[in-house]
Parts: sequence; structure tokens; C-alpha cells
Amino acid sequence: MLKVKDLKKKFIRYNSKKQKEEFYADNGISFEAKEGEIIGVLGPNGAGKTTLLRMIAGILEPTSGTIEFDGLNYSKNEIEIKKNIAYLSGNTKIYNTLSTYELLKMCAEIYEVKKENIDSRIKEIAKTLNMESFLYNRIANLSTGQTQRVNIARCLIHDPKYYILDEATSGLDIISSQVILDFMKEEKKKGKIILYSTHYMEEAENICDYVIMINKGVIIKEGTPEKIRKETKTTNLRDAFFALIGGKSNEE
Amino acid sequence: MKNNLWNMLKKEIREMFRDKKSLSMMLIIPVMIPLLVIGMSALFESQMNKPVEQYNKIGFSYELSEVEKEIAKELQIDVFIIEEKNLEQAYKEKTIDLYVTKEGSNYVIHGDDNETTSYAASLTDSFFASYKEYLQEKYLQENNMKAEDVIAIITVEKDIKEVENFYANYIINYAFLFIIMAITVSATYPATDATAGEKERGTLETLLTFPIRSKDIIIGKFLSVSLSSMITGAISLLLTIVSLMVANNMFQIYKGINLMLSLESTLFACFVIIAYSLLISGLCIAIASRSKSFKEAQSALTPLTFISFFPGMIAFMINVESSTILALVPFLNFTLLFTDITAGTINYLHILLMFFSTIAIITIVLGVIIKQYKSEQVLFSN
Repeated sequence: MLKVKDLKKKFIRYNSKKQKEEFYADNGISFEAKEGEIIGVLGPNGAGKTTLLRMIAGILEPTSGTIEFDGLNYSKNEIEIKKNIAYLSGNTKIYNTLSTYELLKMCAEIYEVKKENIDSRIKEIAKTLNMESFLYNRIANLSTGQTQRVNIARCLIHDPKYYILDEATSGLDIISSQVILDFMKEEKKKGKIILYSTHYMEEAENICDYVIMINKGVIIKEGTPEKIRKETKTTNLRDAFFALIGGKSNEE
Repeated sequence: MKNNLWNMLKKEIREMFRDKKSLSMMLIIPVMIPLLVIGMSALFESQMNKPVEQYNKIGFSYELSEVEKEIAKELQIDVFIIEEKNLEQAYKEKTIDLYVTKEGSNYVIHGDDNETTSYAASLTDSFFASYKEYLQEKYLQENNMKAEDVIAIITVEKDIKEVENFYANYIINYAFLFIIMAITVSATYPATDATAGEKERGTLETLLTFPIRSKDIIIGKFLSVSLSSMITGAISLLLTIVSLMVANNMFQIYKGINLMLSLESTLFACFVIIAYSLLISGLCIAIASRSKSFKEAQSALTPLTFISFFPGMIAFMINVESSTILALVPFLNFTLLFTDITAGTINYLHILLMFFSTIAIITIVLGVIIKQYKSEQVLFSN
């Protein structure tokens, strides 16, 4: 179980060379995620989604608040927690000089997959994600869709309990996006916990069990998609979001 | 956790050896060394034939006989008769290129170890050889004696310090300075690529989600860059030895001189190369990992290339000798130790001091950067 409590992240931005301003990218975010749940983190660009997921993935350190994975926290159990996490973002890049096989082998070794199981695990994942034809090709020579599949394979290699997917379908074509959405559905069935941030509201509506809407670093609404629609008296999450922010997004 | 360090090292080495630029920096720069050694030797040799008027001003503390004047004229020697007490001053003021004093039948040639003096010494040698020949012939004629009886009629001594090693010292020291520069350049590119390059390519975020401590990440990068530098150093040393052997046989300026390093000297040179590779790799990693982009890292590392080369070059030019304190000074200590090694005057204490000061610097630098590698300002400063 993942518990996030009163999470805050303060940054400094420079308005001019001399003037600096402190601001909270996230300001008091709390939620819980249970096994077999897909939690959607929704909001416009700059709402604080990436900062939130980076803190949960252990890339950024929160200014205050707590993150607990099955009772473990980063200050004491960083390596243990990271062994159970897979992080994938739209900006995630992988090592172009390696072949798909080499990358997956490296990840398996880092995540301490048993040596005797590594080869069979890679081949099993390659078959599932239809990567057999380019398993031994350098990543630099793969298409965007193939690279994204390699990225998913990288996340699957150690069979993690938690998936943190930040705008993972952003910029992908419809087929590549579907590969990711199918992968999420499959992992949900296995009881995995998936945090999924996106600004594609329709996508979230179809796949998420629970939705957290963020604007300007604070949660403006949370609940099941159905509950949010009902409470905002709208027919979809896009309209619900605009109803909640009074028609103005953070970007404006 | 040792496993993760090994995994990181494997990943870095694989990336480095597959990157054409890193490989070319590692392998091509040492090829410049034979060009330097052969090129400079050829230049020295060509200077051997420089115009006689550039080194023919010879001071004498005594009046020359008519015969001596005749020989001097034949050899185009510009004779300066100066009182003995003023000869040294005249030499220092460069009025003369060399001077000769006489006590009875013993002539002494005076000068320092520099290029012009070595030419002038050669000319003076010819002068005395001719004069000696004249005296021998005269003596034989007058006394009807055999040649071997007059060999010791005059003696000529040289008071020029190691004049025969001038070119050899020059070429060996510059070759070793170039090894240092080659190692520095070889460390710069992979260090930039492994740190700022990783940020720029966006793979750092992926790396940070792995269950690996920042200590393993930094040490893995440091060891891979060190390996690259050591390979460059080893190739450079090998090419230096080979090109010195070739130059030794190829050029007249090294006639009678042995440019070969002994086995002991070669082993110590390897040790200094390893220590220098570790130091420069640590510094490059530390500087480049704080840079936001590849370009910024390259700009930040450019001064390091000069710092690695210039102290040694200046020390060599002004004849600085190694000492206990200088053995602790980074960069300078490596050049001075190379000079000692090639001269065959290895000081074990200086080698030990260099080693411990290097290890101390690496530990501090890497310790600081490992701590900072958790900082968002270092990782996501842009």
C-alpha cells in the first residue's frame, strides 16, 4: 500500500537576475493507493504532477510530508523501496548505445533478478511485448514506438509492485499509446499499484479507478471518475476539471 | 552493493567503448607523441647546421700565437682576448659564446649547458684538435720522435655540464609532458559524456530511479574514466619508448647517448601514469557533474587541460628540481617525478608523497561530489 501524506515541495524561481521567489510546486498532497488500483493524477502542464511523481519515485526529496510504501520510507529504506518501483515518464530516455537485450540484462542485474532467470525473463517479456525482432538491435536504431516498448520492458523486468507512469503516453501515436494502456490493465489484474499522470482526461477516465485532480500544486478534487462527474454535475472529467477551476487553468 | 558498482562500471565501460569520440580521444592523441619526438629531433638536427657566426665568439684569457690565430681564422672563430677575471662577465652578457682559460699547458673550456654553448664547444674542440695536430707535427719534425711520444703534450678538458644530454633531456621531458596532456584530454571527454552528457540525454532520470546509491554511480563513472585515461597513458608511454628508440638510431644529435628507459624507470613511469590518471579522472568527474550541459562541462574543463600542462612546462624551463614539498603539489609533482625517473634519480619518498597526496585529493573530491549528487541543484539545475 502506498500512503502519501501532506507532501510539499518548495522551489525557487528567478524572476530576474536579482529577484528570486519561493513557490510550492506541490502543497499538501495526501492520498492512498491500494493493491490492484490505477490512480490517475490529472492536471494541466505545471500543475505539479511531475514533481509529485518524482518525489514518490525517489528522484526528488520532499520539502515536507511523508511517503510510505508498505510502511517503508525513503530516509531509511531507499534501496529497498526502489527495488519495488518502476518509473516511466514521457521524457524517460534509455541508453542508445546498448542493445535491447543488454539494457534489459543490465536492469535485471541492478534489480537483483536471479542470474539463472535473467535470460528466460528477458525472452518472456520480449515475446509479450512483441520485441523479439529487435531484441539484439541497438536502441539508437529503433523507432519511437519500439523504444517505448523497450522502456516498458525495462519496467517489467523486475516484476515491481509499484508503477509510476508520468505522462507516459505523451507524444506517442495511437498504437504506441495503446501498448502502454494495455500494459497498465494487465499489471492492474496482477494486483499492482499504478500511479498514472496525464493531461489526457479521456484516457484517464477510461482506465483509472481513482482520480486526483491537481491545480497549482493542490488537490482540487479526488474520487472515482464517476463520483467526480456526479459531484461536478458534468459528463466527463475534462468538463469537471474546468468546472472546478472556474474555466481557467494554471497555464493562463 | 558491490554488485551495483560492478554493474555501473560495466555500463559505463560499454558506453565509452561504443562511443566513437571517446575512443578516438583515447587512442588517437597518443599517436601525436612519435610525431613530436621525431619532429623535434629533426628540428634539433637541422639547427646543428646553423650559421657559424651565431656561435663563433670565443673568449680567450691569453694572447694567441700566430699559428692559433691562423687556425681560428680558418675555423671562422671570432677571437676575443679578455682578462681572465672579466671572461665570466662577458659570457653572462653574451658578448662571447664560450671562453677558454690556460694554466701552463692545460686549457679549460668554460660554459653552461645551453644550445649556443654546445655549438661553440664543438667549434672550440676543432680549434684545439688542429692546434694539437700542429704542435705534434712540429715536435716530431724538431725531435725526430714518434707520434705516440707527443700525445700528452697538451691536455684539453671540458667544463660544460652534461652538454651531451641537452637534446636528450629536452626531448624526453617534452615527451612526458605530452603524455600528461594526452591523459588529461583523454579523461575530459568521457567524464563530460558520463555526467553532463547523461543529464543532457535524459538518461540520468532513469538512472536515479534504479536502486543504486549515488556512491556506486559516481565511483562507477570515476573508474571507467580512469580506465580510459590509463589506456591512453599506457599507449602514450609505449609510443614514447618506441619513438625514443627510433630517434636514438635515426639522428646524429643522440650519437653516443642512450635514450632508453631502464625497466625500473619504466615501471615507475607506469605508476606515475596510473596515479595521474586517477587524479585527473576524479577532478574531471567532479567538475563535469556540476555542469548543466555538455557544452558547459567542456568549458569548465578547458582550464584543467592547461593547468595539467603548464606548471610542469614552466618547471622544466626554469630547471625546478623535485623536493619533499613539491612532491605534494598536484600536477607539478607528476612532471617533476617524470624528470627524476628519466634522469635515473628516483626518490622513493617523493613517489610515496605524490601517491598519498593524490589519494587524499581524489577521496575529498569524490566524497564531496557523492554528497552533492543527491542535491537537486546538481541533478536538475536547469
